[in-house]
Amino acid sequence: MKKKAILLTQIFASTSAIMLLFLLGSCKKESFNSGATKEFTLQSAANDASYQIRVGLPANYNPLVEKYATIYVLDGNDIFDFVANKCKEISDNLAVKNVVIVSIGYGQDRSIDYTPTKISSITGGAPQFLNFIKTQLIPKIEQDYKVDTARASRVILGHSYGGLFGGYAFSIHNKLFGNYILLSPSFWFDDLIALRQEKDNRNDNKTRQQLVFMGIGEAENAGRMQAPFEAFYQALQKNYSDIKLEKNHEKNLDHLGSRNPNIEKGLHFYFQNK
Amino acid sequence: MKQHKFLFFIISVLTFSNSLAQTEKQAIKEKHFAVRQLTIELGIGIHSNFGTDLLITNLVQWNPKKHLAFASHSSYNINNLLQRNFNGIKTEYNYSINQKFGVGTTFYSKRSSNTFLLMAGIKYTSFKEILLNPDNKNVSAGVNALSPDYGLMYSLKKGVKKYFFSFRMYVPLYPWPVKATNISAVDGNMNNIALEFGAGIKIK
Repeated sequence: MKKKAILLTQIFASTSAIMLLFLLGSCKKESFNSGATKEFTLQSAANDASYQIRVGLPANYNPLVEKYATIYVLDGNDIFDFVANKCKEISDNLAVKNVVIVSIGYGQDRSIDYTPTKISSITGGAPQFLNFIKTQLIPKIEQDYKVDTARASRVILGHSYGGLFGGYAFSIHNKLFGNYILLSPSFWFDDLIALRQEKDNRNDNKTRQQLVFMGIGEAENAGRMQAPFEAFYQALQKNYSDIKLEKNHEKNLDHLGSRNPNIEKGLHFYFQNK
Repeated sequence: MKQHKFLFFIISVLTFSNSLAQTEKQAIKEKHFAVRQLTIELGIGIHSNFGTDLLITNLVQWNPKKHLAFASHSSYNINNLLQRNFNGIKTEYNYSINQKFGVGTTFYSKRSSNTFLLMAGIKYTSFKEILLNPDNKNVSAGVNALSPDYGLMYSLKKGVKKYFFSFRMYVPLYPWPVKATNISAVDGNMNNIALEFGAGIKIK
């Protein structure tokens, strides 16, 4: 009995040590501390959900002299700090003006807010969510902060379902944002609805000035990510006359692993080409 | 945060070291176990995401000394075997081939042995997706990629005769750092833990 206990202890201790080492990689929590951060809650008139909004201002924010571009960040709870820090780093390196970062936290399940059509009880809230951004959030930001109100100075950044939402904004409300950072977008959703929406609205959008960065992980091999991504990219490349377009396949990385490297590359592309 | 990491590291090292410590009782027990010097273990497996990846694997283990093990692990993975047509996206093929070599240590009990290995090698991944809908029927996307593959392997051999039951668990540590520990997440290293079962044969 004791011998078995010793063996089990050995296995348990060794496995625990392995798991502890493994978990170390996920302990890091980034924080943005180079500029001022403001926070407030905004309740959507469309769906009554309350969204936690964080606004990251550039370190040298000067409302008397400057007007700033804005980046609206989906999944803001997870990636606001990373995006804000990278904007600071990249704009410093390129010696260009930094931007105001607007982080949109979760008001309800992200799968509701970020998906354009209702195929289950937890999808299909993108029209209401986009309406909230358009009629409540953007006006408040542009009233409270010294930001440029031109379409060309607004960026939307989203990953996965957030990327799908960015694609929806591109196709359906193209007048709202001039710049799109679409990362591992879930364009497979609802039998490729994103591709159909792009095609259906192409004539209205194709002559408008656009900047689009598309990023994906090379190891995203779940049988749904790569081909729709490529189809969307090719549609933009072939049909849009005034577009700054870039795509990136992040080597050896999967859906989550590629997110931050692609955010960095997308922001770099934006700051270089805006 | 650095202090926490350092503390985690120290605890992990001490815990692991403690697990390697021998007792007299163990030494008596080990006398009853015939050490296998060379084994071949064929197996099939899945990834911990309980998806549809089918793994066909082989482990060759050589123990030149009782507590010293070298291993070669080969694996052919057919990925998403049961989901080849999704939302109008057809997967033409999707597989990966892994080859790793490792070194580790073996502990013995009365009817089994447990080997812990540090493994490193390469992984080749190849897949191709095409769209079936008429608007995009010519669009396809494929990846052919070679990447590092390293991690930790646990190997259990159950049985003392020439043929024995074999179980392996491989925890990949590449790409590092781990992005998700949520087992129900879309992907991430924790979802790519390989669980393999099979039979082994003692060669020597």
